[in-house]
Amino acid sequence: MNDNDRKPAFERLVRPHFDRLYRLAFRLAGQRAEAEDLFQELLIKAYGMLDDLVTVDEPGSWLSRVMYNLFIDERRRFRRRRMHLVDEAFLPGDGIEALAGTDDPVRDRERLETLRQLDAALAQLSDEHRVVVLLHDTEGYKMEEIHELMGIPVGTVKSRLHRARARLREILTEGGTFS
Amino acid sequence: MQTRDIDDRMDETDRQIRELLKDYPMTEASAGFYDRALARAAHEGTRRQRNRWIMTGFGSALAAGIVLWLLGGLFVTTPDAPSGDAAIPGVAMTLEEPRTVNLVFASKTALDDATLTVSLPDGIELAGFPGQKEIVWQTSLAEGRNLLPLELIALTPAGGEVLARLEHDNRSRTFRLRVEAS
Repeated sequence: MNDNDRKPAFERLVRPHFDRLYRLAFRLAGQRAEAEDLFQELLIKAYGMLDDLVTVDEPGSWLSRVMYNLFIDERRRFRRRRMHLVDEAFLPGDGIEALAGTDDPVRDRERLETLRQLDAALAQLSDEHRVVVLLHDTEGYKMEEIHELMGIPVGTVKSRLHRARARLREILTEGGTFS
Repeated sequence: MQTRDIDDRMDETDRQIRELLKDYPMTEASAGFYDRALARAAHEGTRRQRNRWIMTGFGSALAAGIVLWLLGGLFVTTPDAPSGDAAIPGVAMTLEEPRTVNLVFASKTALDDATLTVSLPDGIELAGFPGQKEIVWQTSLAEGRNLLPLELIALTPAGGEVLARLEHDNRSRTFRLRVEAS
């Protein structure tokens, strides 16, 4: 495939998966800047592997696995940046503060506070537990999909999910979010 | 009865946590990000695929004699030309401070499957290749001028010559750079 054909062929294969890939990047990296970084790294890597990409049956799953492996390889970099950028999550227009409000300001404030506490609790989980609980409970991934993405047995996915929820319950109960 | 109450409370808490997680927010990508990411991937992906090292253009073909420049005010005439040590460009380095030396290659035509070998004297390393005295790249060189930045690090107060040898089709040219570290 020559250079002129590569870009449109690449775009045809990857663009349909952009939204789902970005969501995955965000759940892995935790912040928009890092998610965009990870997404960009994925596209650059995938472009160089276009000859492989055209042969796979499910490009979306393939791209997700490559992204997850990139995240694992570079998690120290992403974690370090996440630590530096932690306050940016609360800037207006980004993160939790960007949530649409209701007609009830008191309820909105309570909800915001609860989500902040959840955010802090999630930050205390290991990457492995946090990713599993966010993909399953937030993004609606099936156990089988997480197994394929992370390359771990379904039984391990289940136990990580169970432990992640138990740990969240423990943290949030201790912190007074739930009685 | 008390155990059952605790279990019920835990179930209720779990349900509330799952409800919260369903609503856990996500920030959308910035406007135009997908298009920018795609354009950059095509640009960067092509560049990385072509060359492991940065090459941007090439001037005169190897057969016609490659001309190498050392950027930064120094000019190197035809490599391999018989010359004394005084004709070899030199660079002074400070211990453990990376110093980038830019080589410019020029050729009239593009070349595929060229080999570049960088040989380092004792006490000098190429960033990213710790402990390696000789590093070999396989690369194709595009038509035009090509820039190769070499980030050197001096580990001991010694010196010597860095050799960059470019080979293609049984022809080769060697670029010499004198390095003094203190």
